[in-house]
Amino acid sequence: MPDPIHQFEVKRLFPLEIFGVDATFTNSALFMVVGVILSFGLLMYASRGRSLVPNRMQSIAESLYEFVAGMVRDSMGEQGMKFFPLIFTFFMFILTLNMVGMVPGFFTVTSQIWVTAALALLVFVIVIVVGFAKNGLGFLRLFVPEGVPIYVLPLVSLIEVISFFSRPLSHSLRLFANMLAGHITLKVFAGFIIMLLGAGGAASALAPLPLLAVLGITALEFLVAFLQAYVFTMLTCMYLNDALHPGH
Amino acid sequence: MADPDRGATPEKGNLSPEDIAEFKRRASELGTRIDSVQAEKQAEIEEQQDRANRSRGMAYGLRMSTELVAAILVGGFMGYMLDTLLGTLPWLSLVFLMLGFTAGILNILRTFKRMQDEIEAQKDFKLGQSAPDEDEDGR
Repeated sequence: MPDPIHQFEVKRLFPLEIFGVDATFTNSALFMVVGVILSFGLLMYASRGRSLVPNRMQSIAESLYEFVAGMVRDSMGEQGMKFFPLIFTFFMFILTLNMVGMVPGFFTVTSQIWVTAALALLVFVIVIVVGFAKNGLGFLRLFVPEGVPIYVLPLVSLIEVISFFSRPLSHSLRLFANMLAGHITLKVFAGFIIMLLGAGGAASALAPLPLLAVLGITALEFLVAFLQAYVFTMLTCMYLNDALHPGH
Repeated sequence: MADPDRGATPEKGNLSPEDIAEFKRRASELGTRIDSVQAEKQAEIEEQQDRANRSRGMAYGLRMSTELVAAILVGGFMGYMLDTLLGTLPWLSLVFLMLGFTAGILNILRTFKRMQDEIEAQKDFKLGQSAPDEDEDGR
């Protein structure tokens, strides 16, 4: 049976060292570059015409914009549009990487915990910086819910602090785990087809069953690829909203 | 002012009873056609909304699954760090593990409340509360 983990192996393409830091160009880095070029190129190509009546590509780009803009306005209000470039970049980057990962043989960058962790930590740091810059020490109200009696406040604050620090972890784990699990499932079921065919006789007649399963899971994975990009962006909006308006 | 021709000759400005019946029939036929097209459109819109709601529900489900685990892990980790700093090994870990669990439940409840608010804003009913039950009137 083919090794289902093999697809996540990071390979060194060519070594590179910048000021003593190991910045080797890997297949993961390569597909990140591919993702950036793809999303950037597609959006640039789609918006080249700027006609009043959009053609197909332009209306895709417009609906992507509307989708993310709606999400930002819903969760943060009009003042949240300041963060729109950041949030749209997150959405496009993750969506493109998830979709690129669905192409057979391609590397899924978002199934690497350190990539999702870096993205989540970036959001976490931005939230803290924006929170303190906007509200000063008032940002700490995030840990002091209203209407809590003073004698349980230390306990509640402690729980709020843990809840706050669990954010980058759940933020990164969710994307990573969903992409990893989905791709492993696909590979395992595809492996069943080969095993059944190899067994010969009556077992081979069963081979279409895992094939059907793979078909279904592939469709599901496309949905998950989109949903995970959506969830990641929506949570970024929510956390940034907390930074703008601390206190629940 | 009365038109002197009116009613006198069916060719000028007046309709014979058959013509009126025919006209009414065509008007009502057009009416039912418009109704059916509108109903079709409405069903299409509702189905689209339904699909959007379903994927939104799935997004919320995916979110909640990791909230709890992450909070417990962070709580346990904090407790362990404090323990190694203060040399009180099992105790703070245990306390913080419990606190982490509480924080996880809190996260889930908050997510659920947000989801409920969102749905309430869309339609005017609460999840799991006083939603009309189909079985009750269909006895």
